[in-house]
Amino acid sequence: MIRFLLGLLLVTLLQTTLAHRVGVAGIRPDLYLLFLFFLSFRVRSEAATAMGFLLGLYQDAFSGAPLGLHAFTLSVGGFVLTGVAEGVDASRIFPRLVLLALSGLALGTLAQLLLHFFRLDPPVSALVTVVLPTALYTALLGGAVLGASRLKAALEVRL
Amino acid sequence: MLLRVFLRYRRTVILSVALLVSFLFMTLQVRERGPLVDLVERGLVLTVTPFLKLYAAVTGTGSRLWVNYVDLRNVRAENLRLQEEAAALREEVRRFAEAGQENARLRRLLDLPESREFELVTAQVIAKDTTNWFKTILINKGSEAAVRRNLPVISTEGLVGRVVEVMPGTAKVQLLTDPVSSVGALLQEQRATGLVTGDRGQSATVKYLPLMAEVRVGDAVLTSGMGGIFPKGILIGTVTAIHRKSGALFQEAAIQPSVNFGRMEEVLVITGERGSGPPRARGVPPAAER
Repeated sequence: MIRFLLGLLLVTLLQTTLAHRVGVAGIRPDLYLLFLFFLSFRVRSEAATAMGFLLGLYQDAFSGAPLGLHAFTLSVGGFVLTGVAEGVDASRIFPRLVLLALSGLALGTLAQLLLHFFRLDPPVSALVTVVLPTALYTALLGGAVLGASRLKAALEVRL
Repeated sequence: MLLRVFLRYRRTVILSVALLVSFLFMTLQVRERGPLVDLVERGLVLTVTPFLKLYAAVTGTGSRLWVNYVDLRNVRAENLRLQEEAAALREEVRRFAEAGQENARLRRLLDLPESREFELVTAQVIAKDTTNWFKTILINKGSEAAVRRNLPVISTEGLVGRVVEVMPGTAKVQLLTDPVSSVGALLQEQRATGLVTGDRGQSATVKYLPLMAEVRVGDAVLTSGMGGIFPKGILIGTVTAIHRKSGALFQEAAIQPSVNFGRMEEVLVITGERGSGPPRARGVPPAAER
């Protein structure tokens, strides 16, 4: 639990202070989703759901989004990802990246639907201009993190 | 019994509770943010704000040290360049002083009020929006520094946005590029009015410009002063493209904001006008103030 709270603090600090520096055309990776994605391979479904809820609340609190928007999407994300993660070979990078990109797309679409439901009316084009690039960028960053951890493990074995 | 049921269906129960609470929070904000949502959000922000302020202080000090070091290395060349610039500026100041005196004379002749001066609070940007959907920033001044909801925020380059939430020690500012933001605008040359709205990117759009207005690329866009939040005459940006659709009643113009939001580190909150009360909170009912 302490490790999760420290991770939550670190992700919030990184997302609010540094993520915009690596942004491309205003699109930044979603570190909250990335953190939840890695958690979903390590914790049980109910824990991932609760963690997704808390991560989402923090993401909403530090954005212009209505409080509860990402709490909703990341709760669903935590619940679904733990179920899907059981069927994914954790030793292979590519399937995990595809899962990460798909979850980014699905949760982004869910956020778009919720915004529409609450009359914030994002244009349909936001699916292409916000949801898709965010999902791809997050997956790309996830690939870099997985690749780096794989490289580190390989170096440790050699040494 | 109840515990047994909970343990058996705990996955579904936890998911249902999380979704229900999230949905409830969103529902409570549809019309106006309630005290419960405010309380939760303040609690969440306050747990991270000390770390954000610490980070801003450390990076600010590091940045200043680096800038000082670079300045020292270039001080001689810089000195010569500044001497030349100072000479040119002295001449410019003389001309402005002339123009100022003329302006004062003409104002007296026309019986116009003197230009307004604002009371400003300087604040540091300590965090940026966590999503790609919205465009907000968090500043390190809040209710203790007389920052209130709906106060305009500017920088030395132009308009930044307005305060949307105030907490002790921090405030959330909605940038003019936020998709929910709208600012009354005035084209400086044409004197045509419109409405600037954000478009999720780094740019914004002026909507509802009259078709007869001859908008040109490069035209300056200022705040119109209408709407009761932003003072008139603050630079918003410059026109980069004009869009006229056949059959449309209005034309639109894409604008490049004068403020570089990506590099913005300090902002100024307009808390009032010298010699009068807070100008821009006028028209805001007391109940909307937080």
